[in-house]
Amino acid sequence: MTLQALTKPWEPMSYGFLDGSAKREIRRKMIKAIAVPGCQMPYASREVPMARGWGTGGLQVSLTLVNPAMRVKVIDQGADDSVNAASIRRFIARVAGTPTTMNTLEADLIQSRHRIPEEVLREDQVLVLQVPNPEPLRPVQPNMSIARQMHADADYGRMWLQLYEQIVRSGRVMQGASYPSLVHGRHVMTPSPIPRWDVPKLHMAKHLTILSAGREKRIFAVPPFTRVEPLVFSDVPYKVEDHAELTCHRSGTRGYLMNEIPQDDGSSLFEVSDSEWGVKAIRRRDGEDVALGETWYKNGKMPS
Amino acid sequence: MSVVPVPSAFEARSNAAFKAILWSLARPGLVHEMPESGMAQIVEALIDRECAVHCTSPELAHLAHNTGALMVAPELADHVFADDVPVTLLDCLRRGSDLHPDDGATLIAHAELTKGARLRMTGPGIDGAVEVMIGGLPGGFWQRRAQVMRYPMGFEILLVDGARILGVPRSTVVEVL
Repeated sequence: MTLQALTKPWEPMSYGFLDGSAKREIRRKMIKAIAVPGCQMPYASREVPMARGWGTGGLQVSLTLVNPAMRVKVIDQGADDSVNAASIRRFIARVAGTPTTMNTLEADLIQSRHRIPEEVLREDQVLVLQVPNPEPLRPVQPNMSIARQMHADADYGRMWLQLYEQIVRSGRVMQGASYPSLVHGRHVMTPSPIPRWDVPKLHMAKHLTILSAGREKRIFAVPPFTRVEPLVFSDVPYKVEDHAELTCHRSGTRGYLMNEIPQDDGSSLFEVSDSEWGVKAIRRRDGEDVALGETWYKNGKMPS
Repeated sequence: MSVVPVPSAFEARSNAAFKAILWSLARPGLVHEMPESGMAQIVEALIDRECAVHCTSPELAHLAHNTGALMVAPELADHVFADDVPVTLLDCLRRGSDLHPDDGATLIAHAELTKGARLRMTGPGIDGAVEVMIGGLPGGFWQRRAQVMRYPMGFEILLVDGARILGVPRSTVVEVL
């Protein structure tokens, strides 16, 4: 062995910011995460120039996957233009030289915080979800070693008890976001704090979803064509947010998840949460020839 | 001043090889293309000093050893690169535990894709069922695989035929037709 063989040419920075060993470790863990859908795989979670809890998990997965031909879209709570989304998108473009887009139809890689776009994702697209708390059992079992044993035993009785207690106390399931869901009939996962509206989009989807929690150092995945079933009682059906009848006051689009904007007179206006969908609807209304993709929800209903 | 970063040849190759590996496990039963022929690119994409590796071919073993990986017996390895796979190898592969399914091994083996025994695969990543032809593996291979694994424990199989790759994760149910 020569010294030459142990070194490599000088680079000002690793391509995609992460060094080779960080990428290889995330690659190995992504393989296992896909092989056991919904099971949380621990990983090292390296430092990135962003505070933990601000999307570092998703960012590390994105930086591992990117190449200069991959078009990247970043969403923060449905919006492409909020500070978090804009700075992550700019960072990826700067360190990996990737083209960026806001259009869901054009994107190859979509990193998202807490929303899945309204347009159906294709089978060549990868959705990376940022996860603040990857452990669905945390509200019922704060000790993560015991929680891991419960996952190993598929011991999810307390999850059902939690839902039962919510129904008894409040008359309905109060879980608004990160609704616990059974993946491939085996592991309960939290789908990251996406609204209930978005959970059915993961069930038997065509795209690959990778969920990564940077602060908690766990990675898990939902491969394409995988069952994702929200935990429900057979006599209390799963309900999504009651937004089917709401109309966006800016774009006029109707039947999608809305943000509520309180007004001074006590009433509310609504604005479609998937900002790019709203932008495209407005541009089409103004006479531009904009392609709108097929949406998961049709007339406010998810076809079953 | 900003300079557009350009991946090195090594980085581009490992990225493309990993993309093929990722999609071959996300869509089991479908054949994906790697940038080059052979297993060396898989070593480059996945293996470093955190790994324990077993290689049957001396060239690959040399390459894996140079990454700093520990060279071990197949029962201790997290990545096994095998030219030919005796059925008994499946008995000794690491399968992880219910607590840590990620401790299961990854077996990378040569096989003939699109000719040989007819198989039907079902499971996550497969739209309904998919039929594939895989040759070059010993008789009883798939039956033995089903016997030694109990989900979520198990190992992943990556079958390489030149530049083509096909993945069989532990979640896939394989029927021999």
